[in-house]
Amino acid sequence: MISVKNIIKTFEDGVTVLKGVDCHIEKGEVVAIIGPSGSGKSTLLRCMNLLSVPTFGEVWLKDKLLNPVDPYLHTEVIEASNTYKKLVAGGMDGADAIVKIKKEDLLNEKFSAAEGKEYKAILKKLYKDNHIDINVARQKMGMVFQHFNLFNNLTVLDNLTLAPVELKLKSKEEAEKNAMALLKRIGLEDKANVYPSTLSGGQKQRIAIVRALAMDPDVMLFDEPTSALDPEMVGEVLDLMKQLAAEGMTMVIVTHEMGFAREVADKIVFIDEGIIKEQGTPDEIFNHPKDPRLQDFLSKVL
Amino acid sequence: MDFFKDIGVLVTNEKYMGMLFEGLGTTLLISVFAALLGLLIGTLVAIVGIAQDSPIMKLPKLICKIYVTIIRGTPMALQLFIMAYTIFAIRGFPKEITAIIAFGINSGAYVSENIRAGILSVDIGQTEAGRALGLNGRTTLIKIVIPQAIKNVIPAIGNELIALIKETSIVSMIGMYDLTQAAKIIGAGNNMASYVVPMTVAACFYLAIVYLLTFVIKIIERRLRASDKR
Ligand SMILES: Nc1ncnc2c1ncn2[C@@H]1O[C@H](COP(=O)(O)OP(=O)(O)OP(=O)(O)O)[C@@H](O)[C@H]1O
Ligand SMILES: [Mg+2]
Repeated sequence: MISVKNIIKTFEDGVTVLKGVDCHIEKGEVVAIIGPSGSGKSTLLRCMNLLSVPTFGEVWLKDKLLNPVDPYLHTEVIEASNTYKKLVAGGMDGADAIVKIKKEDLLNEKFSAAEGKEYKAILKKLYKDNHIDINVARQKMGMVFQHFNLFNNLTVLDNLTLAPVELKLKSKEEAEKNAMALLKRIGLEDKANVYPSTLSGGQKQRIAIVRALAMDPDVMLFDEPTSALDPEMVGEVLDLMKQLAAEGMTMVIVTHEMGFAREVADKIVFIDEGIIKEQGTPDEIFNHPKDPRLQDFLSKVL
Repeated sequence: MDFFKDIGVLVTNEKYMGMLFEGLGTTLLISVFAALLGLLIGTLVAIVGIAQDSPIMKLPKLICKIYVTIIRGTPMALQLFIMAYTIFAIRGFPKEITAIIAFGINSGAYVSENIRAGILSVDIGQTEAGRALGLNGRTTLIKIVIPQAIKNVIPAIGNELIALIKETSIVSMIGMYDLTQAAKIIGAGNNMASYVVPMTVAACFYLAIVYLLTFVIKIIERRLRASDKR
């Protein structure tokens, strides 16, 4: 469903927060991302829908490439280049040659006119076959934020219908009918016409979740959905997420709720200092952690 | 007290009151249209100002920056003179339009700063939530950010409008007949010993407009706030 390949993220201030992350999320899988504060969990999640644009690397949604990638460093372009052919002819393994070219930026030398034409054709094809407009891709990737981010200027109902109607995915009537059904599902249909400021945190977050569901997403991204909640409201939000997981929704969840991750996730990803140090099933991660940083982390949070 | 007696004479004199109301008409005409022009320019400049840096936006951003710097850095009276005696020094060109343009351009610079601050004061999470749903930047701005920004900037824009109305009193310098000019003419051409009486009455007119406007702004503010809590 989602593949991030060799993601590197350096912020404007020069700090590199993700240092080459590979991560694959299968359809129907629930993946929990855990790790210490500041390790890059949110940044990784935000790279998946390009709220944060990776400095290097690729983000794929199914078979579509989401982020603009330096064309000269694209694998297919490299493979068509004379530099690559020369290296391979010299006895180098193909994969090693690609790594070497990327690393040493060997393609940055100017191309001959013929080569240029060839690359252009490859790039055009690449773009045509693989690329998708990010705004279209995001329609299928729901996101839930730590601080809910319900639209303050709109009623609950309008929060749920704005995007489907604006993007012409549904008529206003359809969108409202669907929204009411979603609100009914979480027992908040009586809140349809109030503004978000009158709601409790738990109510806000459940509405934020169904706002994302109103787009019929293929995958849902959660960034610490319960961290800003009073303890007594955490349960209602986690219960809703468990329901979604049981229904087969593909979910990526950044969380500090280890019990929840253990119970619901199919796969746990442990990230530390911008690197995925270990990933595996809940049993592997919680009962048989191998990485010393993970062992240390678990001893603190469990 | 002669002063109060003279005021009584003036406000019951049909001719003088007619002159003041005619001047008031010009003042209001300039103020209203300059305010609308200012809001339009201000909103556009603010949007350019907060747009993401990109090669296409470089020039517009620079132009907007220069515009705001020049307008805020020079006296209104000079801006008006330059408009009236150079740019629009065309025989028969309506002075009202010159004044509306001059004040609109001036007001736009101040309003743009207010609106910019208002837009930036809206939590970035609101924009992110909109974009994450697949809405484009423009729709997010129009449907989510600007409605919230307006709430934040109404008081500042109100102050700007009040300042604008009072500032239009300098149009007499380019020979226009506004409320202030009417008072001057009444003062010069009658047998009341001084300018003080007509000026005082004109001041009361300004005061009444400003008071009314303040009241309207309060109501709008309260209306907008009502959508916060219900
Ligand atoms: N926009 C930004 N500009 C510069 N640095 C940033 C930015 N966003 C995040 N960072 C830095 O990147 C690092 C990783 O941030 P990130 O939010 O991904 O961590 P996290 O694992 O989600 O932490 P937490 O558990 O506290 O939410 C932090 O040191 C943070 O200060
Ligand atoms: Mg975080």
